[in-house]
Amino acid sequence: MATLTVNGKPYTVNVPGDTPLLWVIREHLQLTGTKFGCGVAQCGACTVHLDGSPVRSCQIPISVAAGKKITTIEGLHPQGQHPLQVAWIAEQVPQCGYCQSGQIMQAAGLLAKNPNPSDEEIVTHMSGNICRCATYLRIKRAIKRAAKGGA
Amino acid sequence: MTTQLDRRDFLKSGAAAGVGLAVYFTIPAGRGGVVEAAAKYEPNAFITIMPDGLVTVHVLKAEMGQGVGTALAQVVAEELETDWKDMRIDYPVADPKYGLMLTGGSWSINWTFDSLSRGAAAARMALIDAAATSWKVPASECAAARSAVRHLPTGRVLTYGEIVAKAPITRTFSEDDLKKITLKKPAEYKVIGQWIQRLDIPEKTNGRAKFGIDTFLPGMAYAKIAYPPTREGGKPTAVDDSASKKVPGYLKTVRLPDMVAVVATSYSAAVKARDALKITWDLGPNANVSSETIFADYARKATDPGAGIEWHKSGTPGAPAPVRTHQATFMTDYVAHMQMEPMNCLASVKDGVYDLYTGSQFQTMAVGLLAATLKVPPANVRIHQHYLGGGFGRRLEPDIMVEAALIAREAGRPVKLIRSREEDLQRDVYRSATYQVVKAGVDSAGKVISWDATIVSGHPGGRWGPDFLNKQGLDDFALNGADHVYDIPSQVVRGVRAETGISVGYVRAVAPNYTFFAVEIMMDELANLAKVDPVKYRLDLLGGAPRLANVLRIVADRSGWGTPLPANVGRGIACVSAQEKKTPTWTATAIQARVDPATGKVKVEKIICAVDCGIVVNPDGVRSQVEGSLLFGLSSALIEKGTVAKGTLEQKNFDTYQVIRMSDVPEVVEVHVVQSTEYPTGVGEPGATTIAPALSNAIFAATGARVRQVPLQADRVLRAIQQKA
Repeated sequence: MATLTVNGKPYTVNVPGDTPLLWVIREHLQLTGTKFGCGVAQCGACTVHLDGSPVRSCQIPISVAAGKKITTIEGLHPQGQHPLQVAWIAEQVPQCGYCQSGQIMQAAGLLAKNPNPSDEEIVTHMSGNICRCATYLRIKRAIKRAAKGGA
Repeated sequence: MTTQLDRRDFLKSGAAAGVGLAVYFTIPAGRGGVVEAAAKYEPNAFITIMPDGLVTVHVLKAEMGQGVGTALAQVVAEELETDWKDMRIDYPVADPKYGLMLTGGSWSINWTFDSLSRGAAAARMALIDAAATSWKVPASECAAARSAVRHLPTGRVLTYGEIVAKAPITRTFSEDDLKKITLKKPAEYKVIGQWIQRLDIPEKTNGRAKFGIDTFLPGMAYAKIAYPPTREGGKPTAVDDSASKKVPGYLKTVRLPDMVAVVATSYSAAVKARDALKITWDLGPNANVSSETIFADYARKATDPGAGIEWHKSGTPGAPAPVRTHQATFMTDYVAHMQMEPMNCLASVKDGVYDLYTGSQFQTMAVGLLAATLKVPPANVRIHQHYLGGGFGRRLEPDIMVEAALIAREAGRPVKLIRSREEDLQRDVYRSATYQVVKAGVDSAGKVISWDATIVSGHPGGRWGPDFLNKQGLDDFALNGADHVYDIPSQVVRGVRAETGISVGYVRAVAPNYTFFAVEIMMDELANLAKVDPVKYRLDLLGGAPRLANVLRIVADRSGWGTPLPANVGRGIACVSAQEKKTPTWTATAIQARVDPATGKVKVEKIICAVDCGIVVNPDGVRSQVEGSLLFGLSSALIEKGTVAKGTLEQKNFDTYQVIRMSDVPEVVEVHVVQSTEYPTGVGEPGATTIAPALSNAIFAATGARVRQVPLQADRVLRAIQQKA
C-alpha cells in the first residue's frame, strides 16, 4: 500500500514497493500521458516531475515516490496552456507524439530553473530525451519561443 | 493451468492472402447517398456530414506522425467547399468497405488525392442538387461555398447541416460519373497548399492523445511472453511454471508454438511471473548465425556467377564496349525500427468476436491473418485503430496482434500485451544487412555507358507470403531504387534473395536506403575518375529527369557548391527518385561535414535538401516530414548499427542501439520545397535515402577516403583514411 500525490490529488495504490512509479501512473491511475519507452532511463518518454524536478519515472520505485509531489503532463497546466505547450503547438512540434509528454516535462524542468537558456544549455538538458521522428529542430525552437514568452 | 496451441495456427500466414501490394488503392463509391431527413449524410465510405454541419473525414491511413489526417481533410474540404472550422477527422475500425487499409511507401496522398477529390466533389454536387430541388430552382443557379449552398439570383442560403437535416439528398454517382467530374485546377485551390495547423497536435501536447498502449477494458489482465533466445527457429522443449504460480497476481500460463506467455493481474506481476519461468529451449538451426557468417555468405553469393535473378534491364545489350571499368562493393548493417512506442496490443474475445486495440499500418493483412489463425470469419476481427507511437514500417506487421489474440482466447478475459524495449528490439524485423557489387563501364571521356549491379539482401515479402513477391520470387521493395533514372545505355540489376535466420522487414525508406547508397557513391566515384564535377557529371546523365536535375541544381546553389572550405571539411551531394520509379519524389541533398583525420570522427555541419513532390497539400506537413526523414537518415547513416551473434541481435536497448539525439543534430538543416502543379507524391521517406551517400561523398571530399559501408562510423572512416595513405 502506497499513498502518493499526483497533480495535486491524493491516491492510494495497493502495489509492491518495488513497482516503478511509471506503471502505477499509467496502469493503476490510468494517467496515460506519461509514456513507457525503454525502462532503463535511456529515452526520457516517462519523464515526470518529482517535487518539481524532472525524473525518469521508470526508475523510481513507488516506495520512493510515496509522500512526494508528482506532476505528470496532465497536471503541468490545468488547461494544457503552459507556455511550452502553447509553443509546441505554435511550432507544430509533434509528429507521432509519443515522446512529446516526456520532452515537454523535461523542458519544463529546464525553464523553471533557467528561464532563458542558451542553445547549448537546451541541447545539454534535452539530449537524454529521444524523439525517433527526430523533431529536435522544432523542440529546440519551441523551447526558445516559450523562453521568450512568445506563443 | 497450461494450454498448448496448435502450431499450425501460426503457419497459415499464406492465408493472409488476397492482399497483393499490386492492388491499386481505390476508395469504394459507398452506399450512394439517399438520405432520409434528419439523418447523417454519408456520400461514400470516407465522409460523414451531420445535421449540425460538422464534416468528418474517416481517415483510413494510420496516423504515425505524418499529419496525414489533416492533409486528407484538406483535400476533401477543397472540393467539398467547406469552412475549415467544420472539418473533423476520425480513424475508423477496420472494415472491408474501406478497401485496402495500408499505410506505407509514402503512398497516402499519392494513392488517395484523386479519389478523395472526386468523392468530395460528388458530395458537393449532391448537396447543391438537394438545395436546388428544395427551392425548386435549377442547380445551375446555385453554388457551394463555406459549407453552404447559395441560390445566386435570390441570395437564399442553406447550410450543409440544414440540407442534411431537412432536404432529401438523392443524387448518386457511378464510378464512371466520378471519373467525369472536372476537378479544380491548382490555381483555384483555397485549402490545398495552405499552412493549416495539424488537427492531431494539440492532444499530443497535453497527454490526451490515445495510443494503443493507452487502452483499458474492464477486467483486463496483463501478459508477458518468454520469447526464444534466437530470432528465428527456436522453441521451448520443457516449461516449468511452478515458481511463476507463486508470484502474487499470477493467473495463467499459455503455451504458444514458439513461446510461453504468462498472464497476471498487473504488468509488474506479469514480468515477475514470466521471469520466474524455467524453460528449456531448442535454439533451432540459427544458433550460430552472426554478422560474420551472414556477410561471408553474402560475399559468396554476390560473386557466384549463377546466383541472382535479373530484376531490371534497360538499354541496348552489347552497347559500345567500355574503355575502362570501375567496380566497388557496398555494405550496410542491420537497422532496427526503434519506434518509441514498444509493440503492444489489448485483445478481448467475446462470442468468437475479437476486438483488438492497437495501432496498425496494415489492417487488411492483419484481419486476414488473424481470421485464418483464429479460425473465425474476417468480420469477427475488429481492429480499433489508435495513434501509432511511431510506425516506420514496424506496424505493418501483425505479430503482436496474433500473440495478444491467442493469449486472450486462452485467458478468458481481456489481455494487454506490452513488449519491453528489449523484447521489442529482439523481436523486430530489421532493415536487412546488404552487400552490393556495382560494375560500371565508361567511355574515353569517362562518361558511364554500362551499369551492372548485384544486390544481396533479405527480402521481407518472402516472410509475408507469395502475394508479396513478384513473379520472379523477388520482393520489389527489397530492390527499388537500383533501377535509377540516370541515362546509361546499358543497365542490368540482379537481386539475390538471402535467408539468414534474422527476420527482415520494411524500415522507413526501405530499399532506397541502401540502393541509392551504392548508386550515388558510384556516381561520385565515376565523376572523380573522369575528373568532372560530381554535380555536372550527374546533370549530364539526367536529361530524362528534368525535375531531379532541378532539385540538384537548387541544392548545389544553396549549399555554395564549389566554393572553398577549410581543411578536413567537405561537401557531398546525392539526388534520388525515391521511393519508387513510378511515384518518384525528386529529392536532392548536399551535406557539409567535418572529419577528424586522427580519429575518423565525423561531424555533420549542414544538410541542405530540396524536394519536388508535386502539389503540396500541407506545406508545413511536408517540411516537417522532410526534416524528420533527413535526421532519421542521418541516424542510420552515422550511428545505428545492428549486429548479430548467436542467432539474435546483439544490441538490447537504446544504450547499445544508439539513435540520433538532439546533440547530434547539425547546426543547419534547410529544406526547400519546389512549387509545382504536378500530381502529388509522398515525402515521408525520400529525404532519408539521400543522407548516407551524400555524407560518404562529403567524407571523400574532406579526406580523399571512400567509405562504402553504413554506418559511416569513425573506425571505418579512419581505416579508409589509413588505407588511402
